[in-house]
Amino acid sequence: MNYPAELKYSKSHEWVKMEGEVAVIGISDFAQDALGDLVFINLPQEGDAVTAGESFGDVESVKAVSDLICPVSGTICAVNEDLADSPESLNSDPYGSWIIKVEAITDQEELLDAAAYEAFCAEEG
Amino acid sequence: MSELKRTQLYDAHVAAGATLVDFGGWEMPIQYPTGIVAEHLYCRSDCGIFDVSHMGRLDIEGPENVKFLQHVLSSNVLALDVNQSQYALIPDEKGCVIDDVYLYRFEESKYLLVINAGNIDKDLAHLYKEAEKFDVTITNVSDRYAAIAVQGPKSKDILKTLAGGGELTAENVKNSLGTLTMEGRPVRVAKTGYTGEPIGYELYCDSADAVYFWNRLIELGARPTGLGARDTLRMEAALPLYGHEMGPCQLGGEIQAYASPLAKFAVSFNADKGDFVGREPLRKQFEALKKILNRDWSSNEDLPYRIYPICLLGRGVLRAGFPVYDARNGEELGYVTSGTMIPYFETEGAGIESVITEKTAKRSIGLAYLKSHVVTEFEVEVDIRGKRVPAVITACHMRQDAPPYTRPILYKKTEVTGPSQVTDYVGKAKELFARAAENHIWRQEQCINLIPSEMTPSRATRLLQSSDPCGRYAEHKKQKAFDDADIPYYQGTKFIVACEELLVAEMKKFLGAAQVEARCTSGQMSNTAVFSALMDWKNRVDRKRQPQRLGWIMNNHIVRGGHLSAQPMGALHDYVAVDPVTEKQMVVNFPVYPDNPYKIDVEATKKLLDQYKPEFIVFGKSMVLYREPVAEIRKFVDEQGIPTTIMYDMAHVLGLIGDHFQKPFEEGAEIVTGSTHKTFFGPQRGVIGVSYQPEDLKWSLWETMQTRTFPGSVSNHHLGTLLAELVSAYEMNAFKDEYQKNVIENAKWFAKCLAEEGMDVAGCAADGYTETHQVIVKVGYSKGPEVAQRLEENNIIVNYQATPEEEGFTASGALRMGVNEMTRFGFGKAEFQRLAHLIAECVKGVDVKDEVARFRRDYTEMKYCFNDEEMREIMGSFAGAIGL
Repeated sequence: MNYPAELKYSKSHEWVKMEGEVAVIGISDFAQDALGDLVFINLPQEGDAVTAGESFGDVESVKAVSDLICPVSGTICAVNEDLADSPESLNSDPYGSWIIKVEAITDQEELLDAAAYEAFCAEEG
Repeated sequence: MSELKRTQLYDAHVAAGATLVDFGGWEMPIQYPTGIVAEHLYCRSDCGIFDVSHMGRLDIEGPENVKFLQHVLSSNVLALDVNQSQYALIPDEKGCVIDDVYLYRFEESKYLLVINAGNIDKDLAHLYKEAEKFDVTITNVSDRYAAIAVQGPKSKDILKTLAGGGELTAENVKNSLGTLTMEGRPVRVAKTGYTGEPIGYELYCDSADAVYFWNRLIELGARPTGLGARDTLRMEAALPLYGHEMGPCQLGGEIQAYASPLAKFAVSFNADKGDFVGREPLRKQFEALKKILNRDWSSNEDLPYRIYPICLLGRGVLRAGFPVYDARNGEELGYVTSGTMIPYFETEGAGIESVITEKTAKRSIGLAYLKSHVVTEFEVEVDIRGKRVPAVITACHMRQDAPPYTRPILYKKTEVTGPSQVTDYVGKAKELFARAAENHIWRQEQCINLIPSEMTPSRATRLLQSSDPCGRYAEHKKQKAFDDADIPYYQGTKFIVACEELLVAEMKKFLGAAQVEARCTSGQMSNTAVFSALMDWKNRVDRKRQPQRLGWIMNNHIVRGGHLSAQPMGALHDYVAVDPVTEKQMVVNFPVYPDNPYKIDVEATKKLLDQYKPEFIVFGKSMVLYREPVAEIRKFVDEQGIPTTIMYDMAHVLGLIGDHFQKPFEEGAEIVTGSTHKTFFGPQRGVIGVSYQPEDLKWSLWETMQTRTFPGSVSNHHLGTLLAELVSAYEMNAFKDEYQKNVIENAKWFAKCLAEEGMDVAGCAADGYTETHQVIVKVGYSKGPEVAQRLEENNIIVNYQATPEEEGFTASGALRMGVNEMTRFGFGKAEFQRLAHLIAECVKGVDVKDEVARFRRDYTEMKYCFNDEEMREIMGSFAGAIGL
């Protein structure tokens, strides 16, 4: 399992990377492994407001649906539309496959660094 | 998870890195590290193995085991012979389903019942209670054996390797069973499965051998497949799962048995089965279903809901529980019972030439429990978490009738195309001529034709075929009042009537028949007329009751080369009876030698004749390497006093009748049918010959055959080809000795040359591979269509052919070739040797197209026909006279 040090992580298994004032958000390696083969993703739209701790979309594996929880509050400024056609890239490259970018950030959840998140996953797993 | 049960293969799953879950109280692998999608696809493309040892296995023994099973199961247990299995339901008193099960009969007196893991306790409680009324023993043997499902196109090869090459099941058909040893270990094999794969097996082995077989299967190329892919595979095949499509219903109560389309096969109301648990409510559901299938909704209250395949058209994923609405008026119809996103391989091209690519895609499909008035193509909406998404009801998601692969059926709206707007018919006619000329020259001057059922007719035959009678009518019927004189219905027919009489005389001489009917325009029509006559004749004494159909009938199984037209799916269709006990068509097949499936096993046949006492025996094949044992069987049925009628469908070998092959009537056949354009010289027609004389009991059968020909089967009997057949019969009677001898010698020689080229020639080398015009070459399982296509691209025309080991024409692994036409164009030993080499080269991938065309150019002049100087002159002036 891979936990890149430059990222921050939420307890609902999303990763966040700050690029200046913009938060880039995806799901962690631990999350994709637990979900199994992802076959569908419900993406939000550019301009949508998101709230920290609330759903911004969902991913579906063969077996089940899981909400995507937004680690920050703000406005979506970009959506990775490629994922609609190939949700499986979330499995093969979770850290290369960002889902949304959020700007005008007003709030955020408690985020863990890589070491703390790895320890958190070890407990959950 | 400590209280969960584990199968014999638990350690193997853990070692393989499987994700384990609680499934019906068992700790089972939901998936392995490759994931559900990859596992699903590998099963479709290669071979998946599944640990199904968690399923309950019960031995049902005792003097009243059949009576007991008839009482607790929905199916007709009497239909099950040894080495057969069947799908059944355990119905409850209300006509709902306690469980769906598989019943296996590996032994004469013991049945194995396989039940769902999650239902074991419930099933046992029910079965033990019902068993109190019967002298029967139920033994739970679940721990004694492990069960491994081996599914997918490569499953047969893998298991055959384990079995040392031998046959796996008694018959190479679904639901057949076998008991054998694999690598020294006892194993039971069933050709069954839960994936929809046309080729798939389930193995039952001793618990101690489970890990051994699991690992050997993996070494041989199979991959472990978890319950996740098992679910997506069965969903794609639209197979029901207890707990989803059966059992408790989300709308309250239980789902009725007949809601599932499989109930039609699983439930029997056979008189011999008698009363059984749930019979009356099931009967009521069935009566409602019959109306529903005729779109009569008046009894829908007896079967208000049914299970349908559903395909999502909009974005999203179908999931169990989602409500479904009528797209037109928003009426709630029911709910999704199973659904997910399912992967498939994309295909390129169409029909038999379509190729399964490595490219994959996904679609969201599932099953839904909807009101019974819903029909295929019904447009619906699915509520996906508050969003209405369009979906459609389809007939199926996948088909398995083109083995070895399943084919996904992707939903597309049927497009209705309007009539063509082109009005330039002169242009169309000119183009047609150009293309017809191109085709004629290609087939006649550049191609080597080895299709054994084809023949080029001589110039004499072709000329006569086009002369005046080709547009006329000459119906005629014998009239008793005129002392059986033939009465013509049309004027202007004296010439053609006389020619028909001459043709009948020539055909009697050729066939060695006492009587001939020459009006049939095809071999299949000849068979239909004979079958219809036999059935009519059977019922001649009592015309007041419903006519009885024929049964038992003994014939050659289609996979062993039996004629399509002599099968229930062919011309026998409307004449064969259904056995009231087994509810199967009353056809029994000639047994063949295990080591030579092209040859009828006479001793085994005698046993079956004693057992079934067939009223009708049909010899003859379209894949034919041997003479049929007509004389032996005639002698046996006469000695045993078995009243029967023996027919020989000689369609393929009609032109070989004589000293070098067989004389059917001398050997004891009563009826010979055939087509006149395979080994005979053409044109394309049929013929019936019989041995009956006016004093015989069956003389009236012969009279019936004539009336079942006209007016029963044909009105206009195609007088152009009738006239042409007369000259062909002259040719045949003039040249048959030399032609027949050469055809059979050439076939043996050609087979030998192909074998020397390294090709796998079917049949027995010691017998010279063939006694007919045909040679069968094996090119590898399911490779037949591809190789035949390659040969066609190289100007060599052959048939691809399924051998007795294969499941059907799409799995064909052989080529069927005949030397008849090329022999007629002058091919001898040197030519067939050269041809064998070209074929072997072509199959290896060498381009031989131009060489074949050059080769053929020197063999365009027909032999075994009238072609002397004078005859050529006569034909030339005839062609001029009739304006051709």
